[in-house]
Amino acid sequence: MNNRLFETKNLCRHYIRGTYTVKAVDEVSLSINKGDYTAIVGSSGSGKSTILNLLAGLDTPTSGEIYAEGNKLSDFSRRQFAQYRAKKIGMIFQSFNLIPHYTALRNVEMALYFDDTPKSERTAKAEAMLASVGLSDRLDHRPADMSGGEQQRVAVARALVKEPEVLFADEPTGNLDLENSQQIASLLKDLHDKGITVIMVTHDMSLAENSAQRIIRMHYGKIVNGETA
Amino acid sequence: MNFRDLVSISTGNLWRMKLRTFLTTSGVVIAIGAFVSMLSFGAGMQENIAEEFNKLGLLNTMLVYEKSERDIEREKERKQKQQEESSKTDSTTTVTAPDTVISRPLDNEALNMLSKIPGVRLAYPYESFTVTVLLDDTTYNSSAQALPKIAYETKLFSQFSEGKALESDSSKEAVITEEFFEKLNIDSTESIIGKKIIISAKASSIDSGLIAIFVSDSFNVSERIRQIKYDSLFNRSYIESTIRTEADAALNRFIDGYMNNNIIISDTLTIAGVLKSGQGFRTRTESVLLPVKTAENFYAIGAGKNPLDMMSILQSGGELNLFNEAPKSRSFSKITLNIDQGVMHAKVADSIRALGLRAFSYTEEFQQMQKFFLYFDMGLALVGLIALFTASLGITNTMVMSIVERKREIGVLKSLGADESYIRLLFLAESGMIGTIGAFGGIILGWTISRIASFIAKSFMEREGVDPVEIFTLPLWLIAIAFALGLLVAVIAGYFPASRAAKVDAVEALRNE
Repeated sequence: MNNRLFETKNLCRHYIRGTYTVKAVDEVSLSINKGDYTAIVGSSGSGKSTILNLLAGLDTPTSGEIYAEGNKLSDFSRRQFAQYRAKKIGMIFQSFNLIPHYTALRNVEMALYFDDTPKSERTAKAEAMLASVGLSDRLDHRPADMSGGEQQRVAVARALVKEPEVLFADEPTGNLDLENSQQIASLLKDLHDKGITVIMVTHDMSLAENSAQRIIRMHYGKIVNGETA
Repeated sequence: MNFRDLVSISTGNLWRMKLRTFLTTSGVVIAIGAFVSMLSFGAGMQENIAEEFNKLGLLNTMLVYEKSERDIEREKERKQKQQEESSKTDSTTTVTAPDTVISRPLDNEALNMLSKIPGVRLAYPYESFTVTVLLDDTTYNSSAQALPKIAYETKLFSQFSEGKALESDSSKEAVITEEFFEKLNIDSTESIIGKKIIISAKASSIDSGLIAIFVSDSFNVSERIRQIKYDSLFNRSYIESTIRTEADAALNRFIDGYMNNNIIISDTLTIAGVLKSGQGFRTRTESVLLPVKTAENFYAIGAGKNPLDMMSILQSGGELNLFNEAPKSRSFSKITLNIDQGVMHAKVADSIRALGLRAFSYTEEFQQMQKFFLYFDMGLALVGLIALFTASLGITNTMVMSIVERKREIGVLKSLGADESYIRLLFLAESGMIGTIGAFGGIILGWTISRIASFIAKSFMEREGVDPVEIFTLPLWLIAIAFALGLLVAVIAGYFPASRAAKVDAVEALRNE
């Protein structure tokens, strides 16, 4: 049985900046299996977040191919990309990216607007998810009224409420203090233990080493720890 | 994501920016309000005129006149042009003088012919003359008009504020207009019905003219004889000049006597009805309406119904009916035709022209007026549209601002699975909502303005002694157009920002600040 979730072949993402080209991702070939907890590490500008965006279908490669469960992403229409993000992927970000004028509950509910979940089920699912991350008493609170750790937990709840196959975490602890960072790291570990594929981007080597099964190191757009297809 | 979700999210977003939404929507409200109030004035005016035309049955009425010199000249010129044009297209045609333009007097024969035109239900002439009306020892100077009984069946003469139409064409009755009634010192129209009035008309006679030739203040036979230079009587030119001078002087004395030494014809009539006010709108109705046969007594006496009429007949080379006989064929200033419902007026007009007469159709005039109102409404709508265009710039600005502020939100929505069409729809829904609320508010504002303006206009009319009429109306079509326009303009104004929002780069939007 093929267990491969993602596969990239000679993936490039280059940006033209005036007269020179920035090679954010350059000739990257890698594969990620279902159920893996993968950490992509590297310094700022190494291209780790760009890889994440490319895999999530938020960005399009300059050249090369990405396969998700064997499907070539470059063949996807815009609508298929949207469906792919809506149903298969959950994302959390360093700066949480919650909608500031919505309550915690509404922020989580928003994720269910695009995956065909019936309106009647949305609130119940969102409440349950917030309860599972320990925020059942913060449903009506807006992001500004919550701590960084709580906001990130709302973001995790938002990413998981649609029951995705894979969770992308882009520097999930980057804006958190040590205690909250540990809570989030533990939460991601628990999710992985429940069978969710986690791909985390971080520059925190200790977080990567303590949580992930596999570490991919990047430097100037290239994988430097010998990862190949 | 269904429509309700979309409306709920859009409403929430607009509500969050209350002041900005209020100001932007106000622009639309004012623009739509201006549009509605101005067009409601145009529609009101149009409705009033249409109502007036319908009320008086003018759309079934045609007027027939004799052709004037100018009409004949124009017709000749037109025929000449037609001939020239046809000779240009067909070289074998020889250019000839334009055909003789047919023209005929508007007399009894013409009346007879007009009444036989297919589609003409009724034809009656307009004849008026100056009269004095004696009522309860008070004399009123007025004018009278002969009207056949059948004419009272038309809408033009069938609306009475009191009483009824004449019994017959020879009854000793009269109908007066409401305007004339107001001049009389009587409290209610009810009490005037059945009252006797004495109608008198001055008429000149041949006798008074002939007598004046020989007996006049300005004429002394012995004086005139003394002025003749007998030694010059052998001079032919002196004789001719003397005869010419004396003939001119005699003619002047005749005219003077004819016009000033009138005879008076009187008749006692009973007032049968009071014709409703406003019947004279666009058609001339004299103050006193008489049965046709009864009226003949007044003008059968001679041509001088009015001394001015007589002078005009003399000036135009016409013949005076100097002998006290009813004329064999009288000439009318106009003939009114009542046309059957559904008959093409253009066809009837063609038949009238073929008889050598000039036709005036109220339907054609009404069509011209409708055309005018179309342009008038378009002008008003243009002013409203300019205001709406300005408001649309406000919407665009608001939406662009909103995109800048909500860039990260757009990125989040895209990461959650929103596609470009959803983002576009979300922003279009927001601008559409501004348009919808603006249109709704604008219609209410327009209605309020039109009510206030109507109140002021009616007060002004009342103060000026005019019957107040409603000059503003808000028909359903105007509400529908205003609503659709508000929505359409808002959606168009929001389309560019919405497309821009849809194209926001999610990666760029979600990048850490």
